[in-house]
This record gives sequence, structure tokens and C-alpha cells, in this order.
Amino acid sequence: MRLSRTLALGASLLVLVSACATGGSSKPTIKIGSDGFYESQIVAELYAQVLENAGYKVERSLGLGARKVTSPAIESGQIDLKPEYLGSGLGYYDKTRPSGDPAANATALGEILKAKGGGISVLAWSPGEDTNAFVVRKETAELYKLARMSDLAAVQDKLTWGLPPECETNALCAGALKDAYQISWPPRSLKLLGACGSEIAAALEGKAVDIGELCSTQPIIGSSRVGLVALADDKATQPAENIAPIVRADFLAKLSAADRTAFGALLDAVSAKLTTEALVQLGVAHEVDKQDVADIARAFLKDLGLIK
Amino acid sequence: MDTLAAMLAWLAAAERWQGADGIPVRLAEHLAIALPSVLAAALVALPAGAWIGHTGRHATVAINVAGLGRAIPSYAVLAIVLPISLRLSPEWGLSVIPTFTAMTLLAIPPILVGTYAGLRGVDPEVVEAARGLGLTERQILLGVELPLALAGLAGGLRTASVQVVATATLGAVVAYGGLGRYIIDGIARNEDDRLLGGVLLVAGLAILVELAFALVQRALVPRGLRAARVRAR
Repeated sequence: MRLSRTLALGASLLVLVSACATGGSSKPTIKIGSDGFYESQIVAELYAQVLENAGYKVERSLGLGARKVTSPAIESGQIDLKPEYLGSGLGYYDKTRPSGDPAANATALGEILKAKGGGISVLAWSPGEDTNAFVVRKETAELYKLARMSDLAAVQDKLTWGLPPECETNALCAGALKDAYQISWPPRSLKLLGACGSEIAAALEGKAVDIGELCSTQPIIGSSRVGLVALADDKATQPAENIAPIVRADFLAKLSAADRTAFGALLDAVSAKLTTEALVQLGVAHEVDKQDVADIARAFLKDLGLIK
Repeated sequence: MDTLAAMLAWLAAAERWQGADGIPVRLAEHLAIALPSVLAAALVALPAGAWIGHTGRHATVAINVAGLGRAIPSYAVLAIVLPISLRLSPEWGLSVIPTFTAMTLLAIPPILVGTYAGLRGVDPEVVEAARGLGLTERQILLGVELPLALAGLAGGLRTASVQVVATATLGAVVAYGGLGRYIIDGIARNEDDRLLGGVLLVAGLAILVELAFALVQRALVPRGLRAARVRAR
């Protein structure tokens, strides 16, 4: 009896000691999530790989769904980290605050998120952004002399508009078109097609619509096969949509002070490289070259020397 | 219960029944794509099913092809057809051609299988007797087998119609109207009353179609068979 008890004591002490020995240097597991569309998944995968390269264990929940799903997920702790678009992320909580200034958006979002889910931090944002762009074919731009959104009012009835179903009730869409650009609602010829989707891109290319609302980093915009022109948002109606990692405070609390700084630096290094051109290229790799999200992320990070 | 009340309020609202986004227009658009699709599918699948059912040849190939057809999601058909149809016609190639194609392909398997099964279910002794009487194969098929197989045929058309009515909602993804517009727009705009209202309308229409066909099927059973069934009891 005494022998087995001694052995049991010894064994548990051993486990305790070994746990203490590794506990200090092992990094906690981090749960990373993303929205459904490819760009959000790729950026989340960039975060994941850079953190794995630094010794973190990552549990991925990529492609969870729309913000309706991912915001509650991070607020409830189902995920610890996700990429967030400053303008839309802010607009999700407060429709009135997004502006064309990324710093203002980030500050406002940070204020709101401080009170959510026990505290969520907004880290450094990317120089590039993926915002709404109204795009026409090159011939249309030349025919009607279109370079800026303000040029549309004069020829609005001559165009077939491809707009998302939520445009009517979206201040950034119908609101902006009506108030800033004098487009009457609804347009005389309107086709409802999901924003940033492949259907609207195909419709624009196939001439079923003359002007479509795309995402500014959608690969087709950078494609040489189809000549597309994104009209300049001269009245700055669209919010700044730079991408920033948002992370739960209770995860950061698990890290030592030094690790916390290093964690921020790792993600900042990734964000710094996400220019709009880089985002378009990532999109081309996914949509045109049909590469895997993981492979795209790895190639991007390796090329920049951000991972081994 | 709040959601239910909201949905009912949405359905009952006056503006719901007028204008280009009103229920009458959307319903008409829905039927305008569903009906021709089922008809087109019948034009292909009825003769094919009848011929295979009558001769008994190539049945395995046909049934398996039909099964494969069921496995292809209609949304995939939309995505495949879209770039091709856009090149053919920018005007019709966006919404109408892809949706019509997807719905027709969806309707073919049930009609094919229903027709084939209906014909195989005809008592072979009746067919033999007809042959013995000197009727040509064509006369047998059209005058003997098809009337006896009518219930099975109608069953295939019924399944196809209900499936097409329920799935034509997909057209809204490629800017078509129809009842699917309420569902797609409801999701996009985060308007649950619109979404659920659309769902209720589509389900209601599908059930109506199902019931209408049930009545038609009953009416189609030849008087002779009906009498025979009663006597047998």
C-alpha cells in the first residue's frame, strides 16, 4: 500500500514538473476564423501560417459564413482571431460611423469592440483595402466619357445597372448613388445580382449589364482579358475597408508580455504587405489560377520571407 | 411567434400585391419559367421513356443517365451555362436561358423514369393480346400501353413539376424574378419577414401543384381500370 502510494505521488510530481518545464515556453492554441469569401479565408490563412511558423498551434475555422455568423463567433469566444474590414465591421455595429478615413474607422471600431466579448482588440490595418467599386467595360467608359462616379448622372438611363439585392436598403449603395451621385432609384434598367460575385462579373463581361458593383480586389478587375474600369468614388461615399486582425483580449492575456508584443509584430508584418495590388494578386491566384487557399498563403509568405 | 407575425404582416401588406415586386408579378414570373421547363422536359423525356418502356431496350443506360442527372445540382448547371448563354445573347443569356436549362434538366429524370415505370407496369398479357389481334407496335403503344400507363406518366410529371416549382427559386441568383426573388433579397437585406414570406409562397405553390396533379392523376385512370378495381374488391 505504501509503495503504490509513493509511486503514485512520484508519478504525479513528475507530470507536474514536466508540465511546468514545458508550460512556460509552449504557446497557447489559437482559434482563427474567417468569413466565407475567398479573400477573408486567404488573409486568415496568412495569419495562421505566420503564427504556426512562430510556434503557435492553430485551430482553423475558415469560411464560417457572413459577418452575421463570425462576429457572434468571436464575441462568444468560439474563435479568438479573425480578419476584419474596418468600414463594414464598424457598420455592422453602428451604421452611422463608417467614413473614408481608415484611422477613424479603426478607432471607432476599437471603442465598440472593447465592450464586446470581454474585450476585443483591433491590431494594425493593411494599406490595401477591398471596398465596393462601380465598374464598367472600357468601351462603355470611352463611349460615355466615364472616369468618375459623378459622370454617371448624365447617362444613367442609357446603362443597364447590375446591383446587389440589398442595394435598395443599403446606405452605401442606393443611398450613396441617390444622394451623392444623383442617380434616381430604381434605375430604369436594373438587374439584381449579388455583389462581388462571379455572376455579376460574368454579366459585366458578357454585356448583360453595363455597370456593376464589384469588390475592388476582384480578380476580373485586374484581368487583361476583359478591359474593365473602376469609376473613381470622387464624393468618397464608400468607407475605408482596410483589413485589420481583431483578437480577443482573453487570448492575449494568456501570453506573456514579451509574447504579446511578438504576436502583434507577427501580424503587423503580414498586414503591412497587404496592399491593394497584393490583394488583387491573391484573388487572381484563387479565382483565375484556382490554387488552394493554403498554397496561396504559403507562397505569399515565403516570397516575402515572412515564414521559413 | 414574432417572426410568424412579421411574416404574415409582410404578406398582408398592400404594397405586396402591387407593382413589379408584387406577389402577382413574381408568381407569374415563377410560372413563366417553370411551365415551359416542364413542357420542354416532357417533350424529350416522354417519347424517350415511352420507347424504352415499350421495347424494354437500353433501360439500364437510360435510368442510370437519369439518376446521374438527379445528382447534378441545379446551381452547378446555372454556373456552367451562364458564360455560354451570355455569349449567345446578352439579353436572354443572363437570367432566362440558364434558369430554363437548369429546370428542364431537373425535370427530365422524373418524367423519364415515371413514363418508363408506367409502361413496364402494364400487364404483358394485355400487350400480347393486342399483338395477337394484329395491332401494329405503334398502335399498341399509343392505343393500349399509354392509356394504361397514364397514371404512372402523370406521376412522373407531378414529381417533375413540384421539383421545378420548388427549385425555380434559383433563378433569382442570376437576376431572374419569380418567388425566389423574395428569398434571395430577404437573405441579402437581412429581412426575415421577406425571406419567410417567400418560403411560404413557394411551399404553398408547390403543394398546390401537388394537389392539382393528384386530382388529375385520379381522373386519368381509365374508366375500365377503375371499374375493374371496384369489381375485384
